[in-house]
Amino acid sequence: MSRPQAPARHNKSILPYLLLSPGLLLLLGMLYPFFLGVYYSLTNYYLQYPHLFRFIWLQNYLKLLEDPLFSYSLKFTLSYALVAVVVQVGLGLAVALLLNGRIIGRGVLRAMMLMPLMMPPVITALMWKIMMGSTKAGILNYLLSFAGLGPVNWLGAVNSAIVSVFIIDTWGNLPFVSLILLGGLQSLPSEPYEAARVDGAAGWGVFRYITLPLLKPFIILAGTFRVMVSVRIFYVIYAATVGGPADATMNLHMRAFFYAFQWYQMGMGMAYAMVLLILVFLASYFLMGYWKRAAEQTSL
Amino acid sequence: MTTFPFGLTVWRWVRRIFLTMAVAALVFWTVFPFFWILLTSLKQPLDVIAAPPKLIFEPTLQNYEAIFIGQKRGLYASTRPDFPNFFLNSILISCGAVGLSFLAGIPASFALARYTFRFKEQLAFLFLSFRFAPFITFLIPLYILFQQLNLYNTYTGLILAYQLISLPFTVWMLRSFFMEIPPEVEEAAKIDGCSWWGVLIKVILPLSLPGIAVTIILGFMFCWNAFNYPLMLAGRQTFPVTVGAIQFISYEQVLWGQMAAASLVAVVPQLILSLFVQKYIVRGLTMGAIR
Repeated sequence: MSRPQAPARHNKSILPYLLLSPGLLLLLGMLYPFFLGVYYSLTNYYLQYPHLFRFIWLQNYLKLLEDPLFSYSLKFTLSYALVAVVVQVGLGLAVALLLNGRIIGRGVLRAMMLMPLMMPPVITALMWKIMMGSTKAGILNYLLSFAGLGPVNWLGAVNSAIVSVFIIDTWGNLPFVSLILLGGLQSLPSEPYEAARVDGAAGWGVFRYITLPLLKPFIILAGTFRVMVSVRIFYVIYAATVGGPADATMNLHMRAFFYAFQWYQMGMGMAYAMVLLILVFLASYFLMGYWKRAAEQTSL
Repeated sequence: MTTFPFGLTVWRWVRRIFLTMAVAALVFWTVFPFFWILLTSLKQPLDVIAAPPKLIFEPTLQNYEAIFIGQKRGLYASTRPDFPNFFLNSILISCGAVGLSFLAGIPASFALARYTFRFKEQLAFLFLSFRFAPFITFLIPLYILFQQLNLYNTYTGLILAYQLISLPFTVWMLRSFFMEIPPEVEEAAKIDGCSWWGVLIKVILPLSLPGIAVTIILGFMFCWNAFNYPLMLAGRQTFPVTVGAIQFISYEQVLWGQMAAASLVAVVPQLILSLFVQKYIVRGLTMGAIR
């Protein structure tokens, strides 16, 4: 009589947990400060006046709701992410289609696209800050002058500063979207295209009814990452505008940083941080689910 | 009949010209910033702020000299930031963080790739969620804690904080590489009498060496790019290059030329390393979601 064999991998041993423990320990080391932060968001912690420290329940959050600066930051954060994802995914798709076509030096172009992608974002922002420069000496305004445009006060005026941050952000992240979508384009099956050719379809129709639907999971994945990163964009804004001018580029992340490290209101800073965290969590939760469904449909 | 092929060639030419222009625009958009920073880094202070901008000028290496000398040579140290030191700090902190992440990450990703157990997916997601949380939620409490624990402005503290960047990445990347190894290979080793340790050391690790190399390089690069944690947790002695480069902006003045030189120097390791991991960068940036 042969003994019944236990399923090979379904052991109830504690081995996997043991294997995970060093990593979990490191992360738990980070969960402690995290919960400490949640606690701070319920206090009026001033770094410079620790003796005033008091537990004030949800007062920080209630104060947020009445604060016009908060509602501006929230609106700016959300609309920035929305515009960023739409424009960057749109442009990224155009670049991906271009790189996927029959053009000379495709490999070189692809490698070139990686350069902005692996730059430290702060350095990217500094590079563009140098190019935007002052109104007269900046190279961008000089180039624009040949087209009879400008000069633009890039980082100095409210609307142009927002656009400038967006340009810098796009320079660094457009390759990410394009490369994901290019990878997607190259993995598409050829059968639907052959069938379309037999049916006499071409150009826009093929793109609209074959390429786009097949590419959907890749578009959603690229969009998901862009949304999640744009909602908490910080490096570029900090290096390019420090939230200015007139707080125009103060998103929630910058405002949380300012509360904590310029005004030393740790409690209020953490309240801003928690709102941002909830936003990022909600966005990633829904988008990840959406992506999984889309990926299953097309069996990615 | 004669006009049709003619029209087609015209259309083809229009299309070709349009495509060429699009490619040229893309190249210009991507490369010009690097080109301009290179020029700026070779300019003397007066040439940098000249209006209109100078394309032809007398190049100088003074900016590079200034950032390489740093503060060590007294009189010649015209710059306030101590750049050579920042560069070494970046290397030290990034290597430390990647090393620590690997010690903890290899067993963790092995467990997540090869075993089924309760809460497996939840635990895997816990690792991932640290990567996507806005850094400020950790930075504020860490800043307060590090002051109390004397970890502020120390390499140990920074390496611990960098775990938030490198550990989730390492676990998810290695897991995706480990999962690519067919389970049959592992079964064979088990039949030969290998324990889990033997399987890991003799089978999994050797077979995924390229993946491990990619993970090390990418992890190093992500740590190199980090700006958020060192901004508040590091001091003048432990600043990495990213925070160092921004020190050229002060209330009195902006040292444009030196900042350009420092930016280029800070990017060199990234450009060299990315040559080795070209094919894997997208995979790394999506934490292994896209192969």
